[in-house]
Amino acid sequence: MAIDGLIILDNVGRPIVQTSFHSTSPAYPLIHIDTYNNALAKVSRPDDVDPVLYVSGINDDKPSACCHVGCGGLRILAPISGDVDPLFAFAYLRTFIDILREYLGHVSASTLRDNFDVVYQLLEETLDSGGHPLTTSPNALREIVIPPSLLNKLLSVAGANISSLSAASSNPFASPIPWRKANVRHNNNEIYFDVVEELRAVVNRSGVSLSNEVLGKIDTNSRLSGTPDLLLTFSNPKVLTDCSFHPCVRLPRWSRDKALSFVPPDGPFILMEYRFSPSSSNSSSLGVNQVPVPVMLKPSVVINENGGTIDLTAISRLSTRAIEDFTVELYLGQGAGAPNFMVSGGGSWAFDPRTLVLRWEMANLPPSSSHSLRGSWTSSIPNPRAARAFRVRFAIQQHTFSALKIDQLRLTGEAYKPYKGVRGRSLVDLEWRW
Amino acid sequence: MRLQETFSEHTRDLAIAKSPGLSYFDSTEDKLKNIRKQLESNSDREKLDAMKRLVAMISKGRPVPEYFPSVVKNVSTQNLEIRKLVYIYLLRYSSQEPDLALLSINTFQKDLTDPNPLIRAMALRVLSGIKVGMIGGIVVMGIRKCASDVSPYVRKAAAFAVPKCYSLDASHLPSLIQVLTTLLRDRSPLSLGATAVAFQAVCPTRLDLLHPHYRRLCRTLVDMDEWGQVEMTNLLIRYARSMLARPTIMKTLDKSGNETGEESVDVDPDLQLLIACSEPLLHSRNPAVVLAVTRVFYYLSPSPSSSSLSTIVQPLLRLLTVSKEVERVVLVYILVIARRAPRLFSAYYPRFLVRSDDIAQAKELKAKVLLTILNHENHQALLREFIDYANDTDDTLVGHSIRAIGRVARLEPDCTQQCLTALLNFIRSKHDVQVSTAVLVLKSLVQSQSQSKFPAFTIGTASNSIISTLAYRIDDIKHPQARACVIWLVGQYAADDSQKGEGDGLEGIARWAPDVLRKAVKGFVGESPLVKLQTLTLASKLLVLCPAHATLKMLAQYVFSLARYDMNFDVRDRARMLSALLGGVVPGLMKGAGEEGDVMEDRGGVVLRREQVRLVLFEGKEVGQEGDFAGVDDSTPIGTLSAITNRSSLSDTLLPDWLEQGTEPSLRDTEDDMPQAPAVPHISSSAARSVAASPVVLTPTGGASPAGSMPKTGGGRFVDLDDLEKFYAEDEEEEDDDGDENEEEEDNEEESGEEEEENGEEVGQAEEPGESAEEGAEDDEEEEGSETESEDGAGERSRLFTAGLEDSGQAHW
Repeated sequence: MAIDGLIILDNVGRPIVQTSFHSTSPAYPLIHIDTYNNALAKVSRPDDVDPVLYVSGINDDKPSACCHVGCGGLRILAPISGDVDPLFAFAYLRTFIDILREYLGHVSASTLRDNFDVVYQLLEETLDSGGHPLTTSPNALREIVIPPSLLNKLLSVAGANISSLSAASSNPFASPIPWRKANVRHNNNEIYFDVVEELRAVVNRSGVSLSNEVLGKIDTNSRLSGTPDLLLTFSNPKVLTDCSFHPCVRLPRWSRDKALSFVPPDGPFILMEYRFSPSSSNSSSLGVNQVPVPVMLKPSVVINENGGTIDLTAISRLSTRAIEDFTVELYLGQGAGAPNFMVSGGGSWAFDPRTLVLRWEMANLPPSSSHSLRGSWTSSIPNPRAARAFRVRFAIQQHTFSALKIDQLRLTGEAYKPYKGVRGRSLVDLEWRW
Repeated sequence: MRLQETFSEHTRDLAIAKSPGLSYFDSTEDKLKNIRKQLESNSDREKLDAMKRLVAMISKGRPVPEYFPSVVKNVSTQNLEIRKLVYIYLLRYSSQEPDLALLSINTFQKDLTDPNPLIRAMALRVLSGIKVGMIGGIVVMGIRKCASDVSPYVRKAAAFAVPKCYSLDASHLPSLIQVLTTLLRDRSPLSLGATAVAFQAVCPTRLDLLHPHYRRLCRTLVDMDEWGQVEMTNLLIRYARSMLARPTIMKTLDKSGNETGEESVDVDPDLQLLIACSEPLLHSRNPAVVLAVTRVFYYLSPSPSSSSLSTIVQPLLRLLTVSKEVERVVLVYILVIARRAPRLFSAYYPRFLVRSDDIAQAKELKAKVLLTILNHENHQALLREFIDYANDTDDTLVGHSIRAIGRVARLEPDCTQQCLTALLNFIRSKHDVQVSTAVLVLKSLVQSQSQSKFPAFTIGTASNSIISTLAYRIDDIKHPQARACVIWLVGQYAADDSQKGEGDGLEGIARWAPDVLRKAVKGFVGESPLVKLQTLTLASKLLVLCPAHATLKMLAQYVFSLARYDMNFDVRDRARMLSALLGGVVPGLMKGAGEEGDVMEDRGGVVLRREQVRLVLFEGKEVGQEGDFAGVDDSTPIGTLSAITNRSSLSDTLLPDWLEQGTEPSLRDTEDDMPQAPAVPHISSSAARSVAASPVVLTPTGGASPAGSMPKTGGGRFVDLDDLEKFYAEDEEEEDDDGDENEEEEDNEEESGEEEEENGEEVGQAEEPGESAEEGAEDDEEEEGSETESEDGAGERSRLFTAGLEDSGQAHW
């Protein structure tokens, strides 16, 4: 056995969708739901639930485990039994969530309820009752499960004969390429590449990066007719390391001359993921090949008997671009309350009494500007323990750390000339210790 | 008119609820009654509506098996949408309502010939889901039919149906194995993953069936879908471990016979093929695939610390960034690998730094990994990290990192002082965990230092100052275990010969010791039993060191009389025991002030002298075992659930150990690789016959026994399949020297060998249909054996394969 099934829980831990669990006792899914809910009740942070929960079997049942991931307000459980790799379950869950997103747009309890018939069809098509994934390529799925659309709903309400209009082809799996459906037609042939990079760094109190890595991915949206064969070349492929690719990419070609040769699936997909290595040499000595952190934080946190004070200054180090969606978070520790803060230079602060997290938000940090947050909080527990680091997140538009540049995109196999678009965007996720 | 009505009704739903889906959920009881009518109506729309209602009921967790007969009627509807919903319903309930499902079995059988592959596959899935033993034969027929379907999607469904049919009725095994061999021959990589699943479930030990397909499976690995890659890789790993020779590392010798330091690895070319073919998959976006390939490298490389493992380091590190959940799982695997080869990861320690928003388990695992990969280059940075983590909000991490600081102090003598300073700082902390863990770590450091034989290990004179610091802090150390620990330490190391009793000190006792006793005695009543016990021990130790001191004696007497009436019987027992022990040194410890009775004199037995008591109290204190820093060791299987949940009871996928010599590579020869290989003609039923003849060969010895039973003849023997007879003849010749004990084994060997031969040549048979008639004649010929011709061939080939071996003399046998 592998993945025994799938259970989707709503935000209060009740199941809203579950697969049939043919081969197990009816109590089996219930035990898994219970195990998860009990584990959730025990931890202070919801994130702290172990993603792989051991579930002892009932009576002589074999023991099993419950792998779970969050998605929106939902929690998706995948009970697994036998000695399978939990990564298998997580990979499937991730794929299933991606498929749901593509079909429903936004995944929430209400969208699932609205489209339950589609969700059930997807479940049946993606997971065999023996516990192994079946069809998970979105293009192939689209041929057998019709995505919900307003038009379909209206038609079904109007009582039109669906079979004549249904998009599900009577001859699915006709395409010789598993990830691309056959006979795609678009009026405008266009393909867009979004290069999204994320800087993840741990910075100590004096502003020195202890760990510093930039992870990038190329989000692609392909709307090309026929069977286009693309060749994407970069002018500086040396900055890319640790790459992983969509199955459509021809690996030998990449290892030979660092060019991406592929027949894209239709629609959105992630072409590749990579890590940016600032110097092409693979030396691991830090300090030499680091990406400079685009902000400077001057934190001063004092914790005393019954509370604490924070004096935090954030300075943008960028000279031309603005920093967007700037948020700073700090967990204030058990018993925290009565926060009293002041911000200068724009933005707002908030304190979530449930998660005990102080949050400082600014929509926009102009270049080279300085902002600060000052204030104090009290604690009902003596000597509170706040998190030892601020979590800082923000985005920079039109900017990539690696300066990855697409040299050209060549199309063969089709006659048209596609419209191409490339965009760059950077996200930053810092852990700034104080 | 009616259409108009319902239209307006539904649009109202649409307008109000904004979601037509919800209306299906809000069905009231009378609407449910309607479902049956709707299902039997002529309108597709009504039917679809009813089916959606049913599926909505299912998702609400309400069982709706009572509609089964009405639903089954619709299975042959022309409308694809309805049909799929019908199948979803059937897939769910066919296993629960087998009798009803049986009624419609004809429909499913008919659907197996539907032009739409989706319907064919669904029909087979429903069919194999019906749990009635009787229909096993029909299911097998269905599977066989679908296994040769034109659509790979249907073939995949056929492969997935095989284990279900097997669990339904194991007696179908022979025909199922036959189906599997058909599926293994599939040229399209799409269904091969499912075939691997079925193979593992149905006949995991019949790895000999894979011989003729092994090389092709390796080469098509990259073209399978990601799930198939995982399953197939795991199957091939098992094949390699049970069928191929263990790769060995040979030290290259220079002319004078010294090791040159270079290592040459002797790897079976077929193993090399698997490794080479799986390596590109490290670029997969699917973490499960990357891990499966990691397993290839980890379990199939010559030695786990060999250089080939460095290939998997970067991909594993990449997985850490995929998601929090994946990170948590992969950290365990990295820990297992790092336990065996810490060098691999030491340079990448920044990738394991703990972030405050990590999952609790990930924090703990990262601390363990960091400690495992700690070495001389990175210890300074890691020490700073550990000191930082000691302030985390997660108590487990705090405990781990403070213990880690203690480890660093032991491993890296030059930063011992730094570690001690840090630990002593934690003692001043206001947080219980920090204080108590730091005290425990300090205790074990002091203890191991005083017993250490290593000259390199030098806490040196620091140990006394540590204890004195702890002694001064006794008021602040509240945690019972830590407090007890400090009191014990004070007693254990109170002896100080440099004290001569001048000034305010006592002779032979460290200056601070008596005061600790005073403080401990003062609060004795309010302490926890653990601390009380240690206070008693401290009092007796000090008394033994300085029996003449009056104040000390009074303190001791006071505490012993308190202990005599303590609530806790352990404390009472300990007091009684110690006072008896000290009988020879300080008599009358336990005496109450009022009783002058001579208890001591009534008691017989041995009274120890002071030196003896001292020996009893002070010596033989072993350093306690350090707590295990991780629940895993390097034997934990990676890529399994048991590694993650840390329970070995789950482990049912142990890998077999290597064969010393492996099976003949020629078994894996196919006409693809060796077009010149002469094909042995067979009639088409040969596969079936061989399977039917020995369907219960459930051990992998089919291929392994030749190697197992002829260890003396060395690894240089490779023969052509068609020379088997010759091969065995020679075998006998050679083994005559060793006596005949192997004869029986040889018989088995011969049987299984033949079987393999037949399976192996199946692929060839399509090309030579004409020759199949000659099979009977060929069999005779085999028995006779045509010696001279084949001998040359075999010799030549064996030379070919053994050219690289050291004792090439064997090749010329």
